[in-house]
Amino acid sequence: MKLAADRILSLLLLGLAAFVAVQAWQLQVPFSYDPLGPKAIPLMLAGLLAVLAIVLFVRPGAGGEWPTGALLLRLVFTMAILGAYAALFINLGFLVSTALVCVVIAWLFGATPVKAIVGGLLLALGSYLLFTYGLGISLPTGSWIEPLLGSH
Amino acid sequence: MFDFLIQGFGVALTPLNLGLAFLGALLGTLFGALPGIGPINGIAILMPLAYTLGLPAESALILLAGIYTGAEYGGRMSSILLNVPGDAGAVMTTLDGHPLAKKGLAGPALGLSAVSSFIGATVAIIGLTLFAPLLAIVAVKFGPAEFFGLMIFAFASMSAMMGKDPIKTLIGAVLGVLISTVGVDSGTGVLRFTFDMPELYDGIDFVVMIIGLFAVSEILLMLEHVFRHDQDGEMAPVGRVMVKMSEVMYCKWAILRSSVIGFVIGVLPGTGASVASAVAYTTEKRISDRDNTFGTGDMRGLAAPEAANNASAAGSFVPMLTLGIPGSGTTAILLGALMLYNINPGPMMFREQPVVVGGLIASLYIGNVMLLLLNLPLAGVFARVLQVPRWILVPSVAILAFVGVYQLNSDLMAIYLMLVIGVFGYLLRKFGFSLAPVVLGFVLGGLMEENLRRALSISGGDVAILFQSSLSIGLWIAAALVVLVPMFAGKLKAKLLPAKAS
Repeated sequence: MKLAADRILSLLLLGLAAFVAVQAWQLQVPFSYDPLGPKAIPLMLAGLLAVLAIVLFVRPGAGGEWPTGALLLRLVFTMAILGAYAALFINLGFLVSTALVCVVIAWLFGATPVKAIVGGLLLALGSYLLFTYGLGISLPTGSWIEPLLGSH
Repeated sequence: MFDFLIQGFGVALTPLNLGLAFLGALLGTLFGALPGIGPINGIAILMPLAYTLGLPAESALILLAGIYTGAEYGGRMSSILLNVPGDAGAVMTTLDGHPLAKKGLAGPALGLSAVSSFIGATVAIIGLTLFAPLLAIVAVKFGPAEFFGLMIFAFASMSAMMGKDPIKTLIGAVLGVLISTVGVDSGTGVLRFTFDMPELYDGIDFVVMIIGLFAVSEILLMLEHVFRHDQDGEMAPVGRVMVKMSEVMYCKWAILRSSVIGFVIGVLPGTGASVASAVAYTTEKRISDRDNTFGTGDMRGLAAPEAANNASAAGSFVPMLTLGIPGSGTTAILLGALMLYNINPGPMMFREQPVVVGGLIASLYIGNVMLLLLNLPLAGVFARVLQVPRWILVPSVAILAFVGVYQLNSDLMAIYLMLVIGVFGYLLRKFGFSLAPVVLGFVLGGLMEENLRRALSISGGDVAILFQSSLSIGLWIAAALVVLVPMFAGKLKAKLLPAKAS
């Protein structure tokens, strides 16, 4: 099992090397002032990567423990939350999106629901004040709130 | 010859820069002490904020260098009190540091490690002051061909010295260089690996890369940690942080030897605190462990790696400031931060940017004293940071990551890219890669390609130019030696000590 992880990795790297090589080969170079041009380095890297991947395949190391089942689900869920955070960041505004995300993440990381809600709200509010007034960073206020403020 | 230092103190002693050095020391210690964050993550997370403050280059660098050295101080706390090293550089600190804490000597252990860190850093900063101007004189003779040789040497010494797995170190470096080729090719204007996405035309932003690679992947690793209910271990009570003069004197040779070892290893490009502390510890064990007390809470076994890792942190500034080659993963991040200020790292930096270089070196002296003064009385306070629950820590890291990347150009694509890089970083870490080579490759990749192509333009495509000057020949030989010597030394040892080796 442990050996398998590195072997899969080496196959992935071989695929990557081939992809890089093909992509680099297809570059249209109109005119180059230097003899090497933009293709050479990616091609060399692809070659080197292929060699290293083959060495890794022959001599795989310890692969480590891989997440399965519930943990894998949680990892995917965390990334989905962060993706949703990015998607909502501008439209919902920093304060609301951050508060929502902080509550969910805090709960995912083992806080009780009450703690998660209180902690998440405080984190969002505190960081908003710190960034806006302490560091002078302008954060998105949220497209839904702007008509309420009558700014546009 | 030391004009730069006098000028530098002029820069570093302005109220703003003094304040930033203090802020850096404080934030660095805090972030270094936070569970699971450690020095390199700490600086990666805080870097965009330093950039946001709109500081001039030298001030930003002073702040970041303060965070860097401070994080090395903070990183030892979880090693000593919890037996959990904050990063690879702190692994050796656990060997004797934690047993001391278990004996009820947590306070003296923290004190001793602060003092040895201070001495290690002082030795190395003096070394940096003396050595850097000399190296800068040689560095001016560097042409593109020598530069290319130097980068090969940097990658070679990295693969030979870093981590247990040289193949993965090299693969990581290659991946880093590959990522650096994304975007418009500066020589011809050809778009490489942009897949028709305009966001990629300028290449992958350094901040996006660093935050994704370190902060986002760390969030996922911390989730695993919490899920598995890994034991953080009982935290030893700190008590009063006192270290007796006699205890320091008992360790004085260990500290001094390790300081020199740490400095030399720090200067070698590509090798950082983890190698330095490991070499210092094993050397000290060989020299002074007569009663087999190392590993059971010997003060010298704590003092040696602590002196060495702080010495290597300061030593890694030597190649960074004189040659523009990072001496460690963290200085690679600092170097990337300099590039954000349009300061081209390289042999001319010492001449062209005396304010930045001198100010940084002077601030290292000042920051080092501040750190000792902060860490002796306040270790107990900082230790409380260790108990910050992860459900507060992780959302905070997520907020810092998002705001740090968003404020670059108020661009959502950058955030998505950061998340993708984060998953990539997580997978790399699960596969047993260390991230420092990836960062080093990413930072050095562009420079390496540029210098190779420039050299070959000069010679009209003749590869011989790479091996023409004695300087570049020396660098190629040095590169070959750092790779070959450990290989053969290992085989020789295995032959001489077949029983012990297995």
